Amino acid sequence: MKKLIYIVLAFSTVAFVSSCEKQDSTTSAASADKSTGSGTGQGGSLARFTIAQDYLYVVDSRKLHAYSLTNSASPKLSSTQNIGEDIETIYAYKDKLFIGSMNAMYIYSIADPAHPAKLGTASHVRACDPVIADDNVAYVTVRSGNVCGGTQNAMFIYDVSNVLNPKQKNVIIMDNPWGLGKHNNTLFVCNGNSGLSVYDITNRYYPKLKQKLFDDTYYDVIVYNDMLICMVEGGTLLYELKADGQVLKLAKING
Amino acid sequence: MKRKNDAIIWLVLPLILVLASCDPFGHSRRISEPIEEIPDEIDGWAPVYETGGNITTITSTAPQPIVKGGKIYIKDNTVYQIEAGKGIHVIDITDGNNPQKLKFIQVTGAQEMAIKGDNLYTNNINDLVVLDITDYNNVQVIDRVSGVFHLVDGDQPPGVGYYQCVDPKKGTVVGWVEQTLYKPQCRKF
Repeated sequence: MKKLIYIVLAFSTVAFVSSCEKQDSTTSAASADKSTGSGTGQGGSLARFTIAQDYLYVVDSRKLHAYSLTNSASPKLSSTQNIGEDIETIYAYKDKLFIGSMNAMYIYSIADPAHPAKLGTASHVRACDPVIADDNVAYVTVRSGNVCGGTQNAMFIYDVSNVLNPKQKNVIIMDNPWGLGKHNNTLFVCNGNSGLSVYDITNRYYPKLKQKLFDDTYYDVIVYNDMLICMVEGGTLLYELKADGQVLKLAKING
Repeated sequence: MKRKNDAIIWLVLPLILVLASCDPFGHSRRISEPIEEIPDEIDGWAPVYETGGNITTITSTAPQPIVKGGKIYIKDNTVYQIEAGKGIHVIDITDGNNPQKLKFIQVTGAQEMAIKGDNLYTNNINDLVVLDITDYNNVQVIDRVSGVFHLVDGDQPPGVGYYQCVDPKKGTVVGWVEQTLYKPQCRKF
């Protein structure tokens, strides 16, 4: 009998500890997602403007421009540098910039925010490619077709824990992927007229498709508190993210 | 005889492969078709023209219809949606079931934006402009930085593919949008 009590105690301790760990990781991810700096908003994954470390970063088709916002009413150009060809998107996470081009994802350090310094590159097939990332993983969608070139439609998943050498971990074939966003253990990928895919990314490198929404033609997505803000054909579509994981359609702003 | 056939195959096969890889549309076509053939209907780029007025004038106006709906930005329960080449829709989403369009900020050439505090950064064609948005009814340009980035090209679209040729008679090109084209005459590789 005593033995049984010990076993039950041991099990419940293990269960308690593991549930604590899980909660910890979720909380830290949530706060990281919200760390957009003092008084700045959030852009989508298709953006060419982003604010980080009190600098405004702008990518045009070839160059990265850094403007100091120390006096936010009067930005001062700090540096301009060549990145590559056909640059399309920029995404800031902590002290890094992830830059998407038609041929590659570039990772830059903004430890010295006035002068971003190149850390690593992951090349891929020619396509349009927004990117989002955190400390360990980068999700890059590549979309092909008439305005992007190439023939592959997919999501590439990289291990970026060593930013100097991003490692491709997984590729998921998709129909028509555009922008993407994530919140804790959920990843949202816009698929144009093939819906909005909702993935469980508890296992960072191996997303599991949970749900697909077909309310509109989706181009980009921003997770904002408990809301999902989608750039759709002809306007913006709002969803509520329920605590139980449900995604509830609220309203469309159009016309 | 067999040896000769083999030789022909080795000569012809690479030729076929080379021709097939030139297939610009990603689906199989007969090689006899001319490669320059213009498609009847295809997704591509169309220029956005500015037809008059001062292109550097930036003002807030009553809400406008969302025509195409471009990139999105969110701050303090307010969604900002770009209307490519035209400006920024300002939308209050405090009540997610009943969002309200508040204003439209006319910015010629607008494609991108970001906000810090009450300062909104956007592109007025190829100028970085800073707008004070403390009062949406009275949006003011408080700074302008010219000659740095090159977001809008007046001759060619930002991506590859077919595009509607630019007609200078229609005005100044202030942006590009993706749309369905019919027999487009121009193409960027």
